[in-house]
Amino acid sequence: MPDFILDVQGLETTFNTPEGIVHAVNGVSFGLAESETLGVVGESGCGKSVTMLSVLGLIPSPPGKVTAGTAYFTRKDLLKMSNAEIRQIRGAQIAMIFQDPMTSLNPVLTIGRQLEEPLMLHIGMTKNQARDRAAELLTMVGIPNAKERLNDYPHQYSGGMRQRVMIAMALSCSPQILIADEPTTALDVTIQAQITDLVKRLRDELGMAIIWITHDLGVVAGLAQRVLVMYGGFIIEEAPVNELYSNPEHPYTIGLLGSLPRVDEKERTKLFSIDGQPPLLYQKPSACPFAPRCKWALEHCWNEMPPLLNVGPEHRAACWVDTKTGRHR
Amino acid sequence: MVTTDSNDILLHVDDLKMHFPIYRGVIQRQVGAVRAVDGISFDIKRGETLGLVGESGCGKSTAGRTILQLYKPTAGKVYFNGTDLVSLKTEEMRWIRRDIQMIFQDPYASLNPRMTVGQIVGEPLMVHGAMGGHELQERVKHLLDLVGLNPLFASRYPHEFSGGQRQRIGIARALALQPSFIVCDEPISALDVSIQAQVVNLLEELQSQFHLTYLFIAHDLSMVRHISDRVAVMYLGVLAEVASRDEIYMKPLHPYTQALLSAVPIPDPVADAKRARVILKGDVPSPANPPSGCRFRTRCPFAEEICSQSQPEFREIRPGHFVACFFAERFL
Repeated sequence: MPDFILDVQGLETTFNTPEGIVHAVNGVSFGLAESETLGVVGESGCGKSVTMLSVLGLIPSPPGKVTAGTAYFTRKDLLKMSNAEIRQIRGAQIAMIFQDPMTSLNPVLTIGRQLEEPLMLHIGMTKNQARDRAAELLTMVGIPNAKERLNDYPHQYSGGMRQRVMIAMALSCSPQILIADEPTTALDVTIQAQITDLVKRLRDELGMAIIWITHDLGVVAGLAQRVLVMYGGFIIEEAPVNELYSNPEHPYTIGLLGSLPRVDEKERTKLFSIDGQPPLLYQKPSACPFAPRCKWALEHCWNEMPPLLNVGPEHRAACWVDTKTGRHR
Repeated sequence: MVTTDSNDILLHVDDLKMHFPIYRGVIQRQVGAVRAVDGISFDIKRGETLGLVGESGCGKSTAGRTILQLYKPTAGKVYFNGTDLVSLKTEEMRWIRRDIQMIFQDPYASLNPRMTVGQIVGEPLMVHGAMGGHELQERVKHLLDLVGLNPLFASRYPHEFSGGQRQRIGIARALALQPSFIVCDEPISALDVSIQAQVVNLLEELQSQFHLTYLFIAHDLSMVRHISDRVAVMYLGVLAEVASRDEIYMKPLHPYTQALLSAVPIPDPVADAKRARVILKGDVPSPANPPSGCRFRTRCPFAEEICSQSQPEFREIRPGHFVACFFAERFL
C-alpha cells in the first residue's frame, strides 16, 4: 500500500428530510496517493459528490450530518476540525471545482477580484501581487488578453471560459489535491475536450493529485489512473483504469459499461440495460443495494452487504457472486 | 437538392430558415436577428431514424420545432407526405399533427403536474380521436403497457415517477394517436446512464413494431451512432454534413464533424489512448452575428482565404453524402 495523502475511512453521511432520513453515504473508505488521478464514477444520488463535500466540511448542516468516519490529510482528521481550521486547508491545500460554472462564480464581482481573494487570504499577497498572479493564472488556463479580461464580469465569459476561471482559481494556491465535481458535464463536447486537455497538462506541470467525480465513464477512461465506482452510498468496485474497463467484476459496473453506446461502435447491437431504478436510501441498506436490479443475485445478497473483496491485483469488488461462474465467491 | 415526389421520402425540408428578431430601444425597433436556423435542407425516408447532432445553440432543437410548425418559419418549405406544412391553415395543420408527434427533453417540465398519467396519455385521444369512457380507459392502459409501465399507474400523478418513467409517459402520449413521424428532442439527455439505455431500447422496439420514423435530436454522438440510420451535423444554424451513419463516423468529410467525433470520450482507456484528437480552439460564435463565409472558419484548422469570402455550397460529394466545405475532397 502506498502512502496516502488523503485517507478516508468508514465515512457515513445522512440528510434529514421531511420524508425521512436519507442515508447518502454508508461507510466509504478510500485513499488518494500523491499526484494520483482518481476517478469516482456513479449515477445521480449514488453519494459521489456528498462523499467529497463531507470530507471538505461543506455539507450544509442541518439537514446534513457526517455521522461516522475519519478523513486524514497530512496526519490531521479533517472531520474533527473546527470551521476556522478547515478553512485554512480548503482552497489552499485542497481545492475544489464544481459542476456548474454559471452559478459558482459571483455575478457582481469582477473575475480579477474573485481570483485575487484566495491569493490575499491564503498566501498573504498584497493587492498588486495578487493582481499580477491572477493575470498569470488566467494566461496559464488559456485565456487570451488576461490583463484586460480581469476587469470583466462573469457574464462576459462563455461557459468554457468560466470553467477555466474556476480551474485557475482552484489552482491559485498550488493545492496538493484538486477535487473536480463533474466539471465538464455542463459543457459541450468540443469544450469538454479543451478542459480535460487543460487539466491533463496542468496535472503534468504542477503534479497535484486529482479526484475527478463524474457520471461519464468515457471521460474517466482517458484521465484517471484508478477508478472507484459508487452505488447506493457504497463503493462497490475499485480498480486501476485499464483493469476496470477490460475486466469489470461487479454486476453494476458490467451493466453500466454495457449500457454505453460507443462512438467507435462497429456493429449495431441492442444496448444492455439495467432494469429498475437506483435505491432511494430512506433506510440504511442492510444488504447489497444493487440486489433488486441484479440478474446474478443469490439469497446471500438479500441478507448481507458484501465487503470490498480482493478479486485481482489492486482490484476489489463488493459482490458475493463471481460473475464469471455465477457462483458464490 | 433532392426530388420531393419519391414515395419513400416522408419528410422533405427545403431551405428552412427560422430567424428570431432582436428588439432594442424605447420604440422596440428591430436591430437584428438571431439566425437560429439559416437555410437547411434534408430528407427523411420512411421508417428511418435521422440523427441531428450539434452543440448547444447550433439550432438543432429550433429546427425540430420549426419542422413541426411550433414556430412560424421565416422562409423555406417543409413537405410531409408531399404536403407543404408551411402553407397550411391552423385548422388543416391540426389534422396533420395527429401524424406528427414530439418527445421532449425534460421529463419534469413536459408533463402537467396537475393531471393524472391517464389524463395526460388520454388527452390526445379525447381531442383528436373523439374517444371517451371505457374505450379511452382501455386504450390508455394498452399504451402504458406498451411503454413498460404498469397500467394501474394511470391514476397516479407525474411527481410519483422517476425521470425514466416520466419519459416513458411522454412516449406513451406521443404514441397515442398512432403517428408515423416522431421528433425526439434530446429524449435521454436528462436521464442517468443506466436509464438511458432502457429508453433507447424502448424507442427502437416501438420503431420496429409500428414502423415509426424518427428525427432524433441529440448532442451525444455515441447514442446517435447507436440509434440512427443517417446523421446530420449542424453548426451555427446550417448543416455541415449529412450522410449515412457509417460514412459519418468512419469517413467524416467536414472538419467540424472530424473534430466533434474526436472530442467524444470513449469508455475504453486503451482505445482512447490510441486515437488522434483534434482539439478545437475557442467557442461557438453568436448566431446573431455569425462569421462571414463558412460559419466554421473561425475554429477550423484548415481555413483559408476563400472560406471567409463565400459560404460553401452544401453539395453531394458522394452518393447520399452531403457536405458544406470547399476542401472536402481532401478528406476523401
